[in-house]
Amino acid sequence: MNIAALLNRPGAGVALLLVFYLLIAVLFSVLSPWFLSFDNMMSIGANMAFIGLMCALQTPLIIAGGLDLSVAAVAGLAGVVVALLHASGVGMVAACLIALALGGGIGLLNGLLAVRLGLNPLIATMGTMSVIGGLALVLTGGLTKPLMEPGFNWIGSGQLLRLPVPLVLMLVVYIALGWVLARTRFGRFVYAAGSNPEASRLVGVPVARTLLILYVLSGLSGAVSGLILAAMLYAAAPDAAGQHLLTVIAAVILGGTSLFGGRGTVWGTLLAVLLLGTLNNGLTLMDVSSFWQDVTRGAVLLLAVGLDQVRTRAVGA
Amino acid sequence: MSHTAPLLQMTGVCKSFGNSQVLRDVNLRLDAGEVLALLGANGAGKSTLVKILCGVYNRDAGGVRLADQPARYDRPEEAIAHGVRFLPQEVSVLPDLTVAENILIADLPLKRSWLGREVDRPALRAKARALLDRLGCDLALDAPVHQLSAPHKRLVEIARALAGQARIIVMDEPTAALADREVQALFAVIERLKAQQIGIIYISHYLDEVFEIADRITVLRDGLNAGDFATARASRRDVLDAMLGTAVDELYPPKNAASTGEVALAVENLSWPGALDGVSFSLHRGEILGVFGLLGSGIDLLGRAIYGAVGPLPGARIVLGDRSYIPANPRRGRDAGIGFVAAERQREGIVPDLGVSANITLPFIDRFVRLFSVSKPREASHAQSWIDRLGIRAAELDQPLRLLSGGNQQKACLARWLVEDLAVLILEEPTRGVDLGARHALYLALRQWTQQGLAVLLISSDAEEVAGVCDRCIVLDRGRVSSRFSAGATPADLLHTPTAKVS
Repeated sequence: MNIAALLNRPGAGVALLLVFYLLIAVLFSVLSPWFLSFDNMMSIGANMAFIGLMCALQTPLIIAGGLDLSVAAVAGLAGVVVALLHASGVGMVAACLIALALGGGIGLLNGLLAVRLGLNPLIATMGTMSVIGGLALVLTGGLTKPLMEPGFNWIGSGQLLRLPVPLVLMLVVYIALGWVLARTRFGRFVYAAGSNPEASRLVGVPVARTLLILYVLSGLSGAVSGLILAAMLYAAAPDAAGQHLLTVIAAVILGGTSLFGGRGTVWGTLLAVLLLGTLNNGLTLMDVSSFWQDVTRGAVLLLAVGLDQVRTRAVGA
Repeated sequence: MSHTAPLLQMTGVCKSFGNSQVLRDVNLRLDAGEVLALLGANGAGKSTLVKILCGVYNRDAGGVRLADQPARYDRPEEAIAHGVRFLPQEVSVLPDLTVAENILIADLPLKRSWLGREVDRPALRAKARALLDRLGCDLALDAPVHQLSAPHKRLVEIARALAGQARIIVMDEPTAALADREVQALFAVIERLKAQQIGIIYISHYLDEVFEIADRITVLRDGLNAGDFATARASRRDVLDAMLGTAVDELYPPKNAASTGEVALAVENLSWPGALDGVSFSLHRGEILGVFGLLGSGIDLLGRAIYGAVGPLPGARIVLGDRSYIPANPRRGRDAGIGFVAAERQREGIVPDLGVSANITLPFIDRFVRLFSVSKPREASHAQSWIDRLGIRAAELDQPLRLLSGGNQQKACLARWLVEDLAVLILEEPTRGVDLGARHALYLALRQWTQQGLAVLLISSDAEEVAGVCDRCIVLDRGRVSSRFSAGATPADLLHTPTAKVS
């Protein structure tokens, strides 16, 4: 059974996703001449970058057996905090650092709740998500705060070597994470902790510390995403990022990461992020209402995960 | 006794898993109103035979007849419908439901009311009461089961079996967690079941109990019938000989002839509430010290306590080599030069999604790191050398460990710890569920490493294994060291020790 053997290869799920992605790209390029242009490709990348960053660190967290639902809310709060600090006269760099520290701190809180206190991460981070999202609304009275500062806005809308800065940032993070997960001791601990935490603990793997670090990094990624989004929009809206939480989780799962931990790669996630971004872009070019885009995103997720389940059952792995 | 057909007749039962044949032409007969003890060492095929009877496994060949009717079923629910009930070692009840609800859960009496059908409480209580009366016991029917003691939960389980019209009840180590008085109470219940013409298959390691309660004994060894005895006319020696056989010598490598080295690990006054009570022993370089005990003896905690997996041990004094060692967590145990292979391989041993080589290098991954990254060639050559030496069968180095057989998984779990400077290796049930070939390879590897100075603490409930592999043995019974053998214990010596203390 050559096909079965092929489907059973470790990268088969990602390969299927790639095929799916190419099919969609071909379809859109036929339907819209504008689709394949360099500018459009770059705009897909720039628009997805802040979501991609959150997905990047959510991936190892889920592989290690954790989950962070608060990450998008952190992004919203980070943007708001920077805007408010800037408006009250704090220097831009200091404001950004404070926002990043806040993101890391919230990540640490999530980690302590989930790891040390032993709360189910779904519940723990749902709680912090609600608290943070609410705080962002309280701080702004629900209003969008303008944020104009050329140096800062460059993070969101500037270019490096003709590439959008957010896209470059995101790719750097993916490459670094890909290396960490595949090659370093820490990466080994991530997979071990998620695959069998008790067995890992018994051979001396620092399971709790690994998860704590990942929660902090996830909080940080939320803050960075929030800064990028605010810089892109020239404004910080308290609820700008929260709506993207489902996209973040969907991309990680679509990319082949197991919700039960132990399996997954950031490359699968990256591909899924691009796929979802392309889908949105293509549908927008074809003038499909954004309400329908939610429907298609959900359908694609169900289709891909469903197909993968069928594949796994077929090869019995 | 009678000329009627036996309640249960299994003939020529065969079963293989992959390449290893677990049962070969096994026969078993059970009459109504009889207690049949099913005995055999670990891996003899007892549980496979019972699982075939209970519809968990399908047999490859052979016949099963219930009351002279061929039994054709291949699912546990169907076996239950035929009146065959299995009571596992661990009591399984629904803790938040009441005693009466637990007993009748499969067939709750219902009545019509204006809401539709609802549970008929008076009928439920009456039926449950009647079933408990058949067992001669009196429990509060409306108490939630989690409030009951372990033996009372067992009674609920037996009553539930009766509610399902059980004709055959299989009990797996039913007395393992019971005190003497509770054992006698259980035996009184079994006598009542016998009087009601129910057939009982009784699996136990306690020979004294078997001789007290069983009418007949069937012994399995290596998947074959090894003897049938009428308890009244058999001696313990005969039964033990049948269980252990004599062909086991080849399985175990020769022991160390030379005397052993200095003390590698000294344990004094190790206690843990409810499990261990003042355990002391010393382990020397170059020897394999066996710790034998049955379920509930404390052997499930001893090894991990010393290693550090259960946390600090107040009052205990542990000396590792020439320095004192305070167990706190597994990392400290590992860094102090102690290795630990846990009994529950699936839950505590393998990291299923990591590859074979990544599993092998996991505890000492630091040694393979160069410039922040794991050196693949170094890791691969280390892993490959153990794959070759232990004969681990894997398609490739990166193959996820979950795809390997139990024996190969266990070899990988052992290979993790075989590094030059490991001082003490603690093994819990190292060959549970491992085929004979793999067992031989594991024993050989252990012996070779002790010759290089490693000290091994082998903790096992398999008397044959402890006697066959270990240079010295101690026996644990209810948390205490009940006897010590400085050389050459036989399995019978070990098995006799705990039971002798009971009587």
